[in-house]
Amino acid sequence: MNWFSFLAAGVLVYIALAVFILGLAYKAYKWFKVPKSSVRLGLFPKPQGGGNRALKMVKDNFLFPQVLDVDKWMWFFVILLHLGGVVAFVGHLRLFQEFTFIANPLGEEGMNQFSFITGGTVGIVLIVAITYLLIRRFKSPYKDLSIPEDYFLLVLILLIVLMGNHLRFFGDVHVTEYREYIHSLLAFKPAFPEELAASATRWSLTTHVLLTNILLIYFPFSKLVHFIGSFAGNMIRSD
Amino acid sequence: MENKEKDKLASVIEKGMNRQLLYYLDICTRCSICKDACHQYVSTGDVLYLPAYRAELIRRVYKKYFTTTGKFLPSIVEGMEVDEKLLDDLYQATYACTGCRRCMYYCPFSIDTTWFLGVAKAMLLAAGRECKILGELAAASISKGENIDMFKDLIIDMLKDTEKELQEKVGDPKAILPIDKEGAEMLYVALAGTHTILPAAVIFHEAKASWSLSMFEASNYGYFLGDAKQAKAIAQRIIDEADRLKVKELVISECGHAYKVMKFLYEAWSKKKMPYKVTGIVELMARYIKEGKIKIKEGSAKEAVTYHDPCQVGRNAGFYEEPRYIVKLAAKDYREMTPNREKNWCCGGGGGLVAEPDMEDLRIKTGAKKVEQIKATKAKTVVTPCENCRLQLGDLNEKYEMDIKIVSMMDFVVEAMPLPAAKSE
Repeated sequence: MNWFSFLAAGVLVYIALAVFILGLAYKAYKWFKVPKSSVRLGLFPKPQGGGNRALKMVKDNFLFPQVLDVDKWMWFFVILLHLGGVVAFVGHLRLFQEFTFIANPLGEEGMNQFSFITGGTVGIVLIVAITYLLIRRFKSPYKDLSIPEDYFLLVLILLIVLMGNHLRFFGDVHVTEYREYIHSLLAFKPAFPEELAASATRWSLTTHVLLTNILLIYFPFSKLVHFIGSFAGNMIRSD
Repeated sequence: MENKEKDKLASVIEKGMNRQLLYYLDICTRCSICKDACHQYVSTGDVLYLPAYRAELIRRVYKKYFTTTGKFLPSIVEGMEVDEKLLDDLYQATYACTGCRRCMYYCPFSIDTTWFLGVAKAMLLAAGRECKILGELAAASISKGENIDMFKDLIIDMLKDTEKELQEKVGDPKAILPIDKEGAEMLYVALAGTHTILPAAVIFHEAKASWSLSMFEASNYGYFLGDAKQAKAIAQRIIDEADRLKVKELVISECGHAYKVMKFLYEAWSKKKMPYKVTGIVELMARYIKEGKIKIKEGSAKEAVTYHDPCQVGRNAGFYEEPRYIVKLAAKDYREMTPNREKNWCCGGGGGLVAEPDMEDLRIKTGAKKVEQIKATKAKTVVTPCENCRLQLGDLNEKYEMDIKIVSMMDFVVEAMPLPAAKSE
């Protein structure tokens, strides 16, 4: 690892994760520190009982069915973006440990193929979804409502996905090397394995990780806190 | 504007902060789903009326003064100082809002824009830039409460004619319109004028209810103005009267926000528990009909009838089925508007707009969605249990030449009741 990679894809990873976790915790602390207004202004009809309320909240939070009434395309691309994000996140867990429950029946070659198809699809789907959301913001009235943060976050995520896709479709390094890199991070001795360090792919990887770190660091201070805050918002809906 | 003044106005946000508002400030992604929910944005295309933008005005100031991002990177969040332009925009964005909360229904995070309006109105009040007419109306209500002994005889005198009309209508020369009656079960809070007193008196008389008419009107301009102190004082007049008469229940007339004020807001403003049961007149009428206390000639309204869900009665108070039960009983041909219930379009007149002359053009223009909806039903009568809606729909009827009848719920019920006066016709 050269010094730049060591900082961007090594040291900064720890800092970013710490800022992300502590930042979100601090955000939640700030929310709970402010007293809740006693006025209960939920929308009717209200679900009866805590269980039904929670159930409605979960449904509203993950499916927001009412959006289908007013903007079907937006609903579709937002679902793609979030679902794509979840699948991409889960896919990366393979770099910590092989998904043996899939890899065993498929075999090593089969598993790599499976990963290529699912990961590749998600990578393309994400680009389509982000591009839609980004282009939308260049039109009125979205343009008038948008602030630089909105574009910054979309461009940042787009670049992260592009770098990820570059690694998948054009990189000459594969899962074993990435896993070694992740394990080096877990051991607090960040390093690229030899094959990776020798390949030009290391630049895509460093950029991919660096941008992700920036996203994680900015996350708790941005609108992305809807990641946790949306649950509260949708719960208050039936207050 | 001086910096000190700017800081003072920005600090209003911090003072009005609560957990709900803080969530809403933090989580909005400006996805703009709400644009298609707002009748004002849909019919004007002006971003100032886009719900998320109305909230964004407050959010930008909040970010600039009270957040880490806003302090380090003000340009990335468009952090904004308070200035004249902002106050102008805030005035238009907030006093124009009818508070229908259709945007909250469609928001994927259920962000409630009215919390932002509350802060915006507090900021405008601090700057002396609030809606003056609403301020005058609120002050008049408070003054009436303080000098009620002076008004009392006048009110009783004024209602002598109404009492005669009641006696004729129910065919009972001994029928009375009880005012200031100690020990009555219910205190009925009507609106200014007698149009919500007479039909209510007929209904109460027929149901043999124990009631007394409040000397105060239900509407609360302090609430529309956004001044919690004045709003509380206006509501308090009614509570004091109820205390004095030792009633058990407050019955609120056909007025969306008045019910909301008593049912949901009074406790927060006064920091006291609401000592009375609060009932909306629609709820009560439905109960009387179900219990057989008043009778309805089924299917007696021959022409096609549709029902308009007032936002403060439906989405914001939960009465969807009671009014429909009544209308469907009396109407021979009932037609539902589309969409309806929690998705119903606002009439465009709520939030005190019918009392604000400078909002009249906007109000008529933004009633277009409602007109479209009514026309599609081809109904000849629109029934609605909210004064704001009734007045607005009346104006729309005239301006859009719809040639229909706009009828209040109580008038509709009284019309369908088998009364002696009606029999002799």
